[in-house]
Amino acid sequence: MKLNRRAVFGTVTASALALSLAACGGGDDDDSGSDGDMVSGEIIGTGASFPDAYYAAAIEAYADVNPDLIVTYDAVGSGTGKSDFGEGLNDFAGTDSLVAEGDGPEEGAYQYIPTVAAPITVSYNLPDVEGVQLGQETLAAIFQGDITSWDDDAIAADNPDLELPTTDITIAHRSDGSGTTGNFTLFLDEATDTWTLGAGDTVEWPSNSVGGDGNTGVAQNIQNTEGAIGYVDLADATETGLTFASIENADGNFVQPSLEGTTAGLDGAVVNDDLSYNPLNASGPEAYPITAPTYILIQTEYEDADKAAGVKAFLTWLLTDGQEIAADVHFAALPEGLQQQALDTLNETIPD
Amino acid sequence: MTTLTNGTPPDLTGKNLSFKRAAANRAATLGIALCVLIAAFPLGLVAYQVISRGGSAMSLGFFTEEIARNYRTEGGGMGPAIVGTLLITGMAALISIPIGVFGAIYLNEYGKTSPLAKFIRTMSDVMTGVPSIVMGLFIYVAYVVVIGERNGLAGALALACLMLPIVIRSTEEMLRLVPDELRQASAAMGARKWRTTLGVVLPAASSGITSGSLLAVARAAGETAPIIVTVGLTYIYKPDLFDGANTTLAAQIYRNATQPFDASQERAWGAAMALIMIVFVFTIVSRIIASRFAIDKR
Repeated sequence: MKLNRRAVFGTVTASALALSLAACGGGDDDDSGSDGDMVSGEIIGTGASFPDAYYAAAIEAYADVNPDLIVTYDAVGSGTGKSDFGEGLNDFAGTDSLVAEGDGPEEGAYQYIPTVAAPITVSYNLPDVEGVQLGQETLAAIFQGDITSWDDDAIAADNPDLELPTTDITIAHRSDGSGTTGNFTLFLDEATDTWTLGAGDTVEWPSNSVGGDGNTGVAQNIQNTEGAIGYVDLADATETGLTFASIENADGNFVQPSLEGTTAGLDGAVVNDDLSYNPLNASGPEAYPITAPTYILIQTEYEDADKAAGVKAFLTWLLTDGQEIAADVHFAALPEGLQQQALDTLNETIPD
Repeated sequence: MTTLTNGTPPDLTGKNLSFKRAAANRAATLGIALCVLIAAFPLGLVAYQVISRGGSAMSLGFFTEEIARNYRTEGGGMGPAIVGTLLITGMAALISIPIGVFGAIYLNEYGKTSPLAKFIRTMSDVMTGVPSIVMGLFIYVAYVVVIGERNGLAGALALACLMLPIVIRSTEEMLRLVPDELRQASAAMGARKWRTTLGVVLPAASSGITSGSLLAVARAAGETAPIIVTVGLTYIYKPDLFDGANTTLAAQIYRNATQPFDASQERAWGAAMALIMIVFVFTIVSRIIASRFAIDKR
């Protein structure tokens, strides 16, 4: 028995030694083998779940480009992302909405870097009913609880050709502080006169509603509830097989959410000095009205030079080669002008 | 005490009972057996569901590979989460079990009914009922925000806070069960109080202390909420608890199960099965250890 224990102890010690030696050896190899301009280390981002489908695919692809820089993105919602940023818990934050007072990040401590844009779909769950069209006022009435049944006259007026069931409407919304909610309510607030719930990352939803965590949480709720309607990013809505409504745009046409419609919306948007822009309800016959931008917040001054280099390397890739995978996962790449502007700002904010 | 030495032993087989009493006896026995079945039924269903659904995700790669960077696509494993679970729960046990056991020794052997001991006893009873997320938020405010980083140790601290009251109370109950005659015998042999406690009382209670601590460890291993608040997320192996964000199986189950994608749902079931297996192995190993250390059955 004693001998056995010793043998076990010996094996454990030996293998631990071997492991640590191997680790050291590996480190040496990396140093001599790298091209010099490859950054290594680890950077952590938290925030918006709206662009998560794109960031997750991008991080997966980036792991092949530079396996030494470990990028983690935790889709906890824009609200938590911004407060984490304020507390210094992340190296960059993802957000779809702009920073408001009390969100966490201090004035002057952050810089917006736009990455991609995508339509917010209005998805619904009505078996056997396809091609629902919703006017902007009807949409507002549904989401503030004025219309509670699918066979309401206002919905019927938008859809003269459809046979609508008597199913009750359940609103699926975000339970966490969300930039998707921010953009969706901002659209309803700007586009309609009747919207009374205001705009913000969280709003007081009516009682016939159910909250979900993250865009995928909302998608799951729509999927599981007959009669549900909610707002979900195009990528998650497509991947979970949801049906989306066509939404009336500024020109009065009913438009399905699509990447072409989003790009059409981006072209009409005015970019501010801080690189924020508002593509909501842009004019143009093909433009999809609920198009949301998404940003990454970077710190204007990083304490740790390695983190700064890591963030810069990843974002530079995201704004160049990374843009090419956007369309595959249902996100619209930035127009070239804005892409260049974002790169310039990145280089100014984090100089080499 | 009187002893029954003469005459036939009492008939306990129940054969000679009156019809009424026999029927009542039968009915009660059946009722109890039914309760056992009802109690075991959900457990069996859970085990069946987890094994049948999680089984398909199982493979060697599932235990060793890094976590998939994208929920939506298949592939990847749970290696880092398994290591994270073991390390974070292990660290939490390392912090809370010694403190808890020594705290319980103070309460039962020294403090007894002093005001301080009473106060601690009441407080630990109250703490047992505190929701785990509160412990997570406490560590978030007291540690994570202060050092400006989510890391594995923060999770271990939150779990340790959660385990501490359970360990204290269960250990104290076990120490109370040790007969005073043993303490007196030890004292009569000339042993000092600390000697008696370490050499007689603790070994006598060791199997009970182990199962109490184990209950706490098993509960901590399955905790999700405090881990998500304090530990963050990572895809890679993080053997160093001080080195940035980490992850555990429970957190991975939550993250993957709340995604509507088939690949992530399957991963969640697989992770659930892995967690159950780990807790199962833990239980068996510590039972063996406890039975080795325990003083011969009294």
